Amino acid sequence: MPLPRSARALRLEFKRNAVPYVLPLLAAVFVFDTLRTADGFAPIWALRASAITDHMLFEFGAFAGGLAAWAGSREGRRKTVDLVATTPRPAWARRSIALTGTLCWLLLAFLAGVAALYIQTAVQATWGGPPLWPVLVGAVGVTVVTVIGFTCGVLFPWRFTAPLVAVGVLVLDQTGFREALGVTASSGTYALLSPANVPPVVDAGVYHHAAPDLSIVQVMFMGGIAVALFGVLGLVPERRRLAVASARAALARSGGWLLRAVAVILVACGVAASWTAFALAGTAKPDPVGGWEIPALHSAASDQPVPATQDCTSSSGFQVCVHPAFSFYLHDLATALDPVAAEIAGLPGAPTGAKEVASVSGGQDVQSGTAANPPVFEFTAERVGAMFGQFNGIRDWAGWTPGFQQGLLDAFLTGRPPHPGPVPILLGPAQQAVEDALLTAVGSQPLNPNVHSAGVSAAARRFAALPASARHAWLATHLTALRAGAITLAQIP
Amino acid sequence: MTAAEVLKPPVAPAAAAHRNPAGIRLAWLHLRSRRVPAAVLALAACGALLHAALHWHWAFNSGRYAQQVPMIIEAGAAAVIAVTAHSPFGETERATGRWLPYLRLLAAIGLTGLAILALQLGAAGENLNGGIGVLARNVIGFTGLGLLCSLVTGGLLAWTLPMGYMAFCQYALLEGWTAPSTWPVRPAADRGAWICACAVFATGLLLVTIRGPRTRLSDDS
Repeated sequence: MPLPRSARALRLEFKRNAVPYVLPLLAAVFVFDTLRTADGFAPIWALRASAITDHMLFEFGAFAGGLAAWAGSREGRRKTVDLVATTPRPAWARRSIALTGTLCWLLLAFLAGVAALYIQTAVQATWGGPPLWPVLVGAVGVTVVTVIGFTCGVLFPWRFTAPLVAVGVLVLDQTGFREALGVTASSGTYALLSPANVPPVVDAGVYHHAAPDLSIVQVMFMGGIAVALFGVLGLVPERRRLAVASARAALARSGGWLLRAVAVILVACGVAASWTAFALAGTAKPDPVGGWEIPALHSAASDQPVPATQDCTSSSGFQVCVHPAFSFYLHDLATALDPVAAEIAGLPGAPTGAKEVASVSGGQDVQSGTAANPPVFEFTAERVGAMFGQFNGIRDWAGWTPGFQQGLLDAFLTGRPPHPGPVPILLGPAQQAVEDALLTAVGSQPLNPNVHSAGVSAAARRFAALPASARHAWLATHLTALRAGAITLAQIP
Repeated sequence: MTAAEVLKPPVAPAAAAHRNPAGIRLAWLHLRSRRVPAAVLALAACGALLHAALHWHWAFNSGRYAQQVPMIIEAGAAAVIAVTAHSPFGETERATGRWLPYLRLLAAIGLTGLAILALQLGAAGENLNGGIGVLARNVIGFTGLGLLCSLVTGGLLAWTLPMGYMAFCQYALLEGWTAPSTWPVRPAADRGAWICACAVFATGLLLVTIRGPRTRLSDDS
């Protein structure tokens, strides 16, 4: 059965389109940029998915804009405007087929890239599933860039349109990214419309649902622009005709009144959608779990915690628990913490276990500390002690081990409970000396030993040289004073 | 009317005596056929865009991110130069004489110089990360890539390789790569980066001069 005329024209467009020729180059850039960047992140779905809008859109934007401009300028570049104007189809239909062909190729390539990214993540992730909102935002981003490029190609069918559109799109992307990085609730939140944004916290979507408010607004904004520009394509007359006939006559030939009415409605709807999204973005405010919420779109259901049973291990009586999303290094974590926990076991306030909690609470970063009852060291995927980003793209576990051990000792030696707020102040000299000594005793290198004074280092060496039982006994006697800052370096044996 | 009148050579009009020398006219026609005047405008637009980006702080002021937007615009200027390699005459033009390679060479070198000048003027009075050295090196290298690409894709699609390599270099920039092959992300004083960029430019220029960009009977889709 023969295909309908439009389908045949679309098939021809698929065959003659320039996008497939550029796909190998696009694939190479995708592998080097997006895939490698995402592979450096911890295998958490929301974190990995942020590479779609932060990296994929950048490289796809350049090629989508340029190639769409190339396709849009085809008739003008080939000087076939007069020839095709004699066909019974309106200009809008012809352009729509060229646009659809280009867009389909680009979206196909984009979705193939997303599939590669998600398959890579699925192989490594231990919990959760692929988020779809970043994919939708990315697909709409590719669509709007394609429509912008195509429209520029139709309006300015020159050989330089394609590279200039590509440059313009990339500069726009980078400018949006820069503005989005500096967004605060007090400085105006319109820059949140940029799909390239700050990477989310490492446990985004793990403890609480990620609210889709921002994604909805971004899709609405970019989709509105795409729809409006598609309507403009229906109103744009043949460029050549403008020169030889009046604008009115040209408009009359650009299609029947019905098509023109549809085009006007599309432009109006697109502008309205984009304007609404712009206005909504201005009302955004930080939500308690580290994202942004837009009151008009926010659903209270998205604030609910995600139910999950923690993965635990207790090889030596010290139980370490993490969210199942982070279970890929549970055993490394337990191996790091066990020796330190053994050094302080039985002392007043010594933790009997370690537990991971959500990294943001009430809109503030949660700092690690020892919960009172039961005494458990609570840390987050983002922060342990004075260090942050521990779980983000961890590769060299041996390099991070002292950081976790130090975080546990920080909480023990100060008696500080877990709390939301700024990074806590550093330890006092005596506390630092004891911490360094305990780290040395378990075979770890204290972090940044060069910044300590000679007195701290000497006291740490003295204390580390004591037998374990002597250290334990001294700590049992002097721990309260040590936590209160009442012990001097000279008092450390 | 007799045959003698027809065979009699026409008298040259007075204006013809003041025409430009043939070499200059040939060069001008060559440049026009490559849309070089429009390319100069496009390069000026790139310079203006760079000025706007630096003046209104669309880019970061310092650090690795500061090189991102200038690099995009440098690649764009190089892409414009690469696109001018396209000839509307194709193979026919190659049979017309021996000056074509020289004209291609001069057009490419002249436009590269103009691009550097336009971007430098755009950055004048603003804080350009890396300075004129990085700017010139990047334009030279990206242009070489564009010229090389034109050998495969033809002039009109020759912008794709500079853009693709620039996108890759954005990753290399953030990852702090130091290999000379990632010359756009290296500091101005890096000799290896200069050697790489100049080698790419020289290769592209040489091949385009000798062979010319790929031509097809019909324009690409």
